[in-house]
Order: sequence, then structure tokens, then C-alpha cells
Amino acid sequence: MTLETVGFGVVAALLLASSLAVVLTPNLFHSVLYLAAALVLTGVVFLLLEQPFLFAVQLLLYAGGVVTIVVFAIMLTERLVGDRIGQASRHPINGAIVAAAVFAGIVGFLIQAPVRATAPAPAGDTTAALGRALVGPFAVTLELLGVLLVAALLGAVYFARSEE
Amino acid sequence: MTLPTRLPLLVLLLPFAAFVVLAVVAPLRRAGARAGLLSIAAMSVAFMAALVAWVEGFRGEATWSWIPSDGGPIATVGVLVDPLSNAMLVLVTLVSLLVQVYSLAYLGDEPPASLGRYYTYQSLFAFSMLGLVLSPGFLQMFVFWELVGLCSYLLIGYWYQRPAAARAAVKAFWITKLGDVGFVIGIVLLWSATGTFDFGELFAKAQEHALAIDGLGTIMFLIYLGAVGKSAQFPLHVWLPDAMEGPTPVSALIHAATMVTAGVFMVTRAQPLFALVPDVLILIGWVGAFTALLAATMACVESDIKRVLAYSTVSQLGYMMAAAGAGAADAGFLHLLTHGLFKALLFLAAGAVIHAVGTNDIFRMGGLFRAMPQTGIVFIVGTLALAGVPPLAGFFSKEAVLSGVWEAHLTVPFLMLALTVLLTAFYMFRVVFITFFGRAFEAGHPHEAPWLMRGPLWLLAALTVAVGIRLAVGGGEHEAPGWLVPLSLASAFVGFALAWAMYQRGLVDPATFSTALAPFDFLARRRYGIDALYAGLYRALVLGFARLIGWIDRYLVDGVLNVLSALTLRAGAGLRGIQSGRAQDYVYGVAFGVLLLFVWAQLWR
Amino acid sequence: MIGLQAYLVLAALVFAIGLFGVLTRRNAVGILLGIELMLNAVNINLVAFARFNGDLAGVVFTLFTISITVAEVAVGLAIVIAIFRVRRTVEADRLNLLRG
Repeated sequence: MTLETVGFGVVAALLLASSLAVVLTPNLFHSVLYLAAALVLTGVVFLLLEQPFLFAVQLLLYAGGVVTIVVFAIMLTERLVGDRIGQASRHPINGAIVAAAVFAGIVGFLIQAPVRATAPAPAGDTTAALGRALVGPFAVTLELLGVLLVAALLGAVYFARSEE
Repeated sequence: MTLPTRLPLLVLLLPFAAFVVLAVVAPLRRAGARAGLLSIAAMSVAFMAALVAWVEGFRGEATWSWIPSDGGPIATVGVLVDPLSNAMLVLVTLVSLLVQVYSLAYLGDEPPASLGRYYTYQSLFAFSMLGLVLSPGFLQMFVFWELVGLCSYLLIGYWYQRPAAARAAVKAFWITKLGDVGFVIGIVLLWSATGTFDFGELFAKAQEHALAIDGLGTIMFLIYLGAVGKSAQFPLHVWLPDAMEGPTPVSALIHAATMVTAGVFMVTRAQPLFALVPDVLILIGWVGAFTALLAATMACVESDIKRVLAYSTVSQLGYMMAAAGAGAADAGFLHLLTHGLFKALLFLAAGAVIHAVGTNDIFRMGGLFRAMPQTGIVFIVGTLALAGVPPLAGFFSKEAVLSGVWEAHLTVPFLMLALTVLLTAFYMFRVVFITFFGRAFEAGHPHEAPWLMRGPLWLLAALTVAVGIRLAVGGGEHEAPGWLVPLSLASAFVGFALAWAMYQRGLVDPATFSTALAPFDFLARRRYGIDALYAGLYRALVLGFARLIGWIDRYLVDGVLNVLSALTLRAGAGLRGIQSGRAQDYVYGVAFGVLLLFVWAQLWR
Repeated sequence: MIGLQAYLVLAALVFAIGLFGVLTRRNAVGILLGIELMLNAVNINLVAFARFNGDLAGVVFTLFTISITVAEVAVGLAIVIAIFRVRRTVEADRLNLLRG
């Protein structure tokens, strides 16, 4: 059992635990915090997959950005409603069965899939290669993404603005 | 196309033009009397043209192809001009014209709008009847045949607010349709056997003995059925007395002089074809004679003046048919023409009486001769003509019919017709004595009708006399047995004397007389149960069938549909539950979809 | 050496957990959190494939996914707030205007 395997096992266990906490905690605010943990742990998985740049992006955008927005949203709605937002589960057993079935379906595929040869670990700085790819073959996609973000920004402002 | 066909075509199109104008230009139609004047103007020009065609003795035929097909048109339309149609043209336009003039006064109290409607129908009727007369083939004849039926329906139901009139209109339509079904089937059968509707072609084939079709007898019988319905022959005569619910001028025009004679005209027109099937001819003769007798007996007990005349019309139509059946179609046609004149006269005179008295019941009239001598005189002229007194028109045509039937060796029908002569004189003079003589009724002050009504009456009376004299001078070519004239004159006289004795002198009490002939009296007063029989049959068959269909429609057809719609609604309500509106339920749907994809991939790939 | 399978199973588990959250949470924000989890699972898949197939496109795609996710969260939360203003609730059960 190598160090890597142990690391993966630990990270995976933590990730699953925090994910479960996200969907099971009755307190919405706690579940946001668990979500932050889960997102950071996902970033660690990216590190294990030798993508440090993605780890940074995950940390900055997700754990930093998304969680902050969600916290703001919760606080806003809480302020408006005047009491703390709890949340119960509806039909947890049905949801569990369906989720488990989907999982089983995916695993069924994975079992059948042929094992492929593993590519060698990337040599050199993947970040530089990533940057070149972004402005090279994926330049148009990147621009479109920019447009999308602007549109989302405008939409969010439009929806969330108070009616005067 | 030459004048001999162009002129009758003009006769045909003038009333049609009047009809179209009246039908389309609503303000004119609502103007009432002015609409009538337009119709009368068209009619009088048409009458002039018809007169010219008749006097000149035009002959000709002009046809246009109607239904095209490979190898020539299937059917043609056009005009067939010959002495037969010329005579009918004159009769129809003349009586139409006089009746329309007469109606101006008779229906003067009507609201202008409905008077305009009346003249619209009148123009349409004149057009239809003229088209029927001029038809060069069975198909066109059938079209106009139905058109006159329609006009008859419209005009009987002119006072459609009266339930009796509406019922009578429907009854007339229904019962004539019964015959028309046979007519149209016969026409189509004849066409499928010969390939033509055209009279000319059919007659040519008949002459060449090229009409040896299987079942020609059946075909001609079916065609004859149309005439049975239209000309009110037994057993389809029941509609004609009821048709008296229409205005009296309508009765005079349609139900005495013109439309009801369409059947006789058709049989006369198709005489060369009927001549090929002697069995059908004999049937026609028997039915005609029987109808004549039956209707005459019913006329003897009727108290409604118009219904007496209606039964008399049925009876005289029986004469014409009997003549046609005996192969003496010319005699029948002559009787048609003379009868058209004096029966229109009688009806119009009766209309004047009704107009003055305000009732149809002859027992509530009486002594009217003093109040309205002119009407009385013309009515008596008509009565004498109908009873067959020389030298009036009816005498000669009736003699021709009787001799024709005798010469065809139809002895029993001849006897029935001879007896009818007696009855005719009896019931007509019964009306005359009760209405114009006898004890005057107190109520009301009957007065002579206005000139608009009296003019046509006098004209018709004059024509009845003139035609009679004309026939007496020039029409002596029939070789009747010598005893015929004395016999019929004696019969008529006996009838007259009986009526005189019973209703004028009171020598014989009508009541004792009717008890002496109790069975006949009983049956005749109940119209021999034929109406009741039809009503029962109608109720049992038609209404029963309608009820059955109604039941099927309500419970089977609607039931199936209701079940279907209920199922659809239920299914919709059930499916509606799926649309809960909660996004998460839809996510379940997506998840199930994904699962289905998994299953599909596992099992079927 | 951890194989591709292990990462994929891990991602599948996270995805299933996220799906469970989406299906069972009553709060609209909670549902959004579940969606985040599912998207993360997808990201893990993409990166794992990129790593084991030696193809950088997967990583680029993950970058895009993350950005779009951020946009989605922003818009989604804005909608939640707007609905909240109108309906005074963010309980998903009550938001059933779509009911047939």
C-alpha cells in the first residue's frame, strides 16, 4: 500500500463524508460549510491527479466564490424571512433508492468497461500547456464563456434587484 | 336555335327572371303589391308569347348538353316544343296570370312582406311548371317535377303560422315524395337500360321495337308511381284535400289546373312508352276510374266548399288517368285542358264566396245568389261544365274520355266513370243549392268581390263556354257509340235532380238518404279510413323507426362517445397528477429516464 | 497506483449523493448545493479521464465547467431571492406553479 493509495483513500473518505454532510445536515448554513469542505477536498483530488492549477482554480472560484455567494444568499433570505432557515428532507427513502440505483447503473458500466492502458504522468509544467491550449485551440470557446459570464451577471442583477 | 324554340324559352325564362328579381331584391319583395305587379307583368308577356307559340303551332327542339362524358353527354337540357307543350304553356300561363291578378285582391289584406313572398313563390312555380312542360327528357322533367313539388309545399304552407297549413304542406310533400321515389328509380332504370333520358330518342326506339327491355313493365310502373303521387291517384290521393289549407288562388292554380295535372301530362307525354306495356296501361285505367269514383263519393259528404272541389279535382284527374290508361291519352289531355279552365274558375269563384262569407263551410252559407249574382253565375257555369252539360267545355272532353275508355273494353272502369258522372252532378249541384240558394244565413253582409277578382272569373267562364262551343263546332270527329251521350246526360241529370230534390225542394231528406246508404256514408265521411290508415302507418313505421334510431343514437352512438370522452377525461385527470409542478418530482423523472437508458444499454445493445 | 476506476467510482458516489440531495432537500438553496456536488463529481471524472488518457482537453473542459457553474450559481441564487421576495418562501414544495 503506497503513500499515494493511502492519500487517495483518506481524501476519498473525507470527500464522501463531507458530501453526505452537505445533503443530510438539517441546518442549511452548516451544509454550506460542508460544501466548502467538499469542494476543497475535490481540489485535493485534482492535486492527486497532478493538476495543481485546477486545484488553485477550484479553491479560488468554488470554495472562495461560490460558497461566499451562497452564504450571502442565505443571509439575505434569512434576513428577509426573519428566522433561521432549517431544512428537512422530503421522501428521503425514495431519494436514496433512486440515487443508489443511478450509482449502481454507473458502476455497472464501469465494471463492463475495458481497462485501458494508463498514459504516463505528464512531463513538465501542465499549467503552461493549459494556458497555450486556452488561447490556442479553445480560444473561441473561451470568448464565448466570457459572453456567457456577462450574460449571467446581467441576469443575476436583473433578478435580484429590488423592485422600485 | 330558331323562333319556335326561342319563344317558349322566353316563356320559361320570364317567370324565372321575375322570381330572381323578387328573391334577390328584398325591398321590392317587401313592397307587396308592387312585387305582384312585376310578377303579373312577366306573366302576361309570357302568356302572349305562349299564345303566339300555340296559335302558330310551333314545333321544335333545342337541347344543350348537361352532364358531359365520353361519347356524348349523359343528359341534355332544353326545350321541346310541340302541340302538347304549347297547349300546356297557354293553360299554365293563362291560369297563372289570372290567379296572380285575382290574388292581388284576394290577398290584399296580407302584410306586404308576405304578399311579396307569395308572388315570389308564384313566379317560381310558374317557372317550374313551364320547365316541366317543356322538358325534352325525363331527367329535366324530374328536376322541375320536384321544383313544382317544392312550390306546392311552400304555397300550401303560405300561412305557416297555422298548424293545419304547416301539417298539410308537410303531408303533401311527403306523400308526393312517396310517388317520386318510384319515379326517379324508374327513370334511372330506364336510363341504364337505354342510355338516354331523351323523349325523342326513347320514342324512336319504341317505334323501332328496340325497347324490348326486361322489366320494362316494372320500369313504366315505377314511373307511373310518380304520376300517382303528383296527380293524387288512389292510394296517394290523401294529400290533395288537405292541400286546401293554402290560399284559394293557390288551390286554383296548383291543385286544380296545373301541378296536379303534371302526372297526367307526363303519362300523356310518355304515351309511346306506356303503349308498350299494356298491363301497366290497364292498371292505370283501373286506378284512374277507381280514384274518380272514390273521390266523388267523398265529395258528396264533404261540407267544406274547397274540399268538395279538391275531391272533385281528384275525381277528374282519375278521368284523365283512366283515359290515358285506355290509350286515349288525347282525350285525357283534352279533359286536362278544359278541366284546368273550369276548375280554376270554380276554385276562384269559391274563393270569392269564402272571401265574402269568411268561412269554408257550405252549411253556413246560403242564399248567396242574391248577394253576389255574378259569382253565382260563373260558379254555375263551372258546375255545368264539370257536370258535363253541353255545350260547355267539360261535356266534350268527358265524352271523349268515356268513349275512349269504352272502346278500350275496360267495361268496369267505364261503369265506374259513368256512375261518377252522376255523382259529380250531384255533389256539385249540392254545393250550388246549399251555397247560392236556399235559406240565407243571417250573419254578415256578403257582397260581390272586387273587379280584380271578378275579371278573371268572367274571363274563365267565357273561355269555358267558348272552348265548349269551339269543340261543339269543330270537334265532332270521335266515333263514340250513339248511346253514350244520352247515357251521360241522363246520369248528370239524375245527379242534378237528386241534388235539387234533396237540398232545394226538401223532397228527400238527406238524412234518410244517408241512412239508406249507411255503409257508404259511414265510409265516405271517414274518407274510407285511408287517412287514418296512413296516419297509423306513419305513426307505427316512420315514427317507430325514428324512435328506434333516436334510441340507437342516444344510447348506442352517444353512449360509445360518452364512454370514450369519460375515459379520456379520466385518463387526463390521472395524467394530470403526474404534473405536480414541483421541480424535484421532475428530477425524479429525469433520474428514471437515466435508469431506463442504463437498462436499455444493458439489455439491448 | 490508483486506477482510473477508483476515481470514477468516487465521482459516481459523489454524484449519487448530490442527486440524493437534489431529490430530498426542501429548501431551494439546498437543492442548489446538491447540484454543486453533482457538478463536482463530473469535474472529477473529466480530470481523471484527462489524466489517464494524457489529453489536456479534459482539463480545459473542467475549467469551463467551473466557470459555468459559477455563473449558474449566481443566476440560480438570484432567482431564489426573486422568488423569495414574491412568495415569501424558498420551500421547493410550495413552488408548484407548473402544476398541470
